[in-house]
Amino acid sequence: MFFINVQKWWQTIKIWWGQQTAYRLNFFLQVIGPPIVFFCVKASLWKAIFNGIANQKGLDISSTVINGMTLDQMISYHAWAMIVGFLSQGMGSFDLSNDIRLGKISTYLIYPFNFWEYHTAGFLAFQTLQIPTTLLSLLVFSSLKIIALPAISNFILAILVCFVISLFWFSLQYFIGLLAFWLEETWIMRVMINIVTTFLSGAIIPVSFFPEQLQQMLVWSPFPYMIYWPTKIFLGQTESILFGVSILIFWTLIMGFINTTLWKRGLRLYTAAGM
Amino acid sequence: MSVAISSINLAKNFKTYEKNPGIWNSLKSLFHRDYKINSAIQDFNFEIKKGELVALLGPNGAGKTTLMKMMTGIIVPSAGKLSVLGFDPWERDKEFRKKIALVMGQKSQLWWDIPAMDSLLLLQKYYEISDMEFKRRMDELTTLLDVGSKLHIHVRKLSLGERMKLELMACLLHSPDIIFLDEPTIGLDLMAQENIRKFLLDYHRKHSCTMIITSHYMADVEALCQRLVLVMQGRKAFDGPLAEFTQLLGDTREMTFIFDKPISAQEKTFKDYDAVWSPDNQKVDLLVPFPKMRDLTSQILRDFPVTEFSTEKTPIERAMKTFMKNNTHSLQNQFATLNK
Repeated sequence: MFFINVQKWWQTIKIWWGQQTAYRLNFFLQVIGPPIVFFCVKASLWKAIFNGIANQKGLDISSTVINGMTLDQMISYHAWAMIVGFLSQGMGSFDLSNDIRLGKISTYLIYPFNFWEYHTAGFLAFQTLQIPTTLLSLLVFSSLKIIALPAISNFILAILVCFVISLFWFSLQYFIGLLAFWLEETWIMRVMINIVTTFLSGAIIPVSFFPEQLQQMLVWSPFPYMIYWPTKIFLGQTESILFGVSILIFWTLIMGFINTTLWKRGLRLYTAAGM
Repeated sequence: MSVAISSINLAKNFKTYEKNPGIWNSLKSLFHRDYKINSAIQDFNFEIKKGELVALLGPNGAGKTTLMKMMTGIIVPSAGKLSVLGFDPWERDKEFRKKIALVMGQKSQLWWDIPAMDSLLLLQKYYEISDMEFKRRMDELTTLLDVGSKLHIHVRKLSLGERMKLELMACLLHSPDIIFLDEPTIGLDLMAQENIRKFLLDYHRKHSCTMIITSHYMADVEALCQRLVLVMQGRKAFDGPLAEFTQLLGDTREMTFIFDKPISAQEKTFKDYDAVWSPDNQKVDLLVPFPKMRDLTSQILRDFPVTEFSTEKTPIERAMKTFMKNNTHSLQNQFATLNK
């Protein structure tokens, strides 16, 4: 039975690869475009901030330190944040809400392979396709001396952690997708969640810059473990791994439970529009 | 013959809300919505035996597709009992899903951006078909449908007719016990329609599986089905052999008269016969009850400058259209009396 299931999953992943790479240029631009723009915006923003402070204090920009970080360290932080994003924040389930709204899930309700299995396979397919993109960015960033490659053991550890983060991220995206049973359009929800996540995860400002109270509040939330914390692992700080991973797994399980409930309830409302 | 599908007092209601156009009404609908319960299917009782080929016929919005969705377990019934092959479809047991297939004419089930063969290989795994059996089925279906050369082309590049054949192939790969076909010939040209019909008939003859078809095309029904279930306003209006149905509608004839000059459409003579005039008013189609045909013909020949006329048995589509337009209820009553 297990072997048969593995075959089903493997074949589904292959189908997703086929679909995701059908429009190669489009795929590439979609995956790599926005993060690069985001990185450039952040880099110039922080450069301007460092410049301002250096001028104010009459210092050289390279020796200016904000909250214990120099400009080079800040840029390197954001380069790693981009790589963490590649490895953990896939777009595997973006079509899910459309599938529900346009009645496309009818097909998956009929196949003897579940809808969540189909989409989870899609997510795995997407994550594996991100590996070449990640390697390419690593190559570019390290050859430009923006980042220094970590020790191999740290590197592997950080990648494994990113996989755990990606599971949580997927469960969050799946949750938004399922809201399509109730909402006509989930796009705005996705944007809102993405903005909140981007901010609280430290993708714009490192979490260590946040007020102490907010930092303490966030410890039990999944957010700082999505960008800030894995970036630190890439940078060589491996303490409290077990705690971070436990928090992420805890939240993934919570989301899994919520998603199962939503699916069961939502399906009762499903009208299979257009069929 | 044992029972494949049975339903007792089956019903399905949909909750919808009405929204008037305009920004103000959009804003209002954020706070207050007038929900309405629409009943799509009511008190539906029927039974289909294994191996039967049954057509579900009815106008748009009558509830045919809703029935189909309930029978395949896609949507949950609001009330009543439904059993398909001994399963409750809504539980969507994996064994149940392995025994049915659904072909949707309006919706592609094949993955759009990859060749059909990849989809078929995926379905092989989903339905746990052994390599040997898969090859055997592929050989059989590719020959029957004549699609051998299309298997490796991206689905989005195929014509509608070719795609439909591959859709059928994908649905039949696992030798389902029941095949649900929702308007399988919609949008196809006449040749392609005929091919699909011929294939379905051959397949049914060979495998004696149960087939349920919904269609707008009477030709589909006439060519394929021994039994017809007419659905109107969510209720069963007729259930019986096709021959009986045609008999019921068949005591009228369609008559065509051509005149050598335009005739006023207001003429009393034509009023009671559902006249359809040509734009130049020189040709009229009438639906005439058989007993009145003789008198009417001689009256028209006497009073109007007729150059040509012909008589045909009424096509079911036209008769149904007239009946539905005129008085749906009286037709239902007529069928109800007949069914008793």
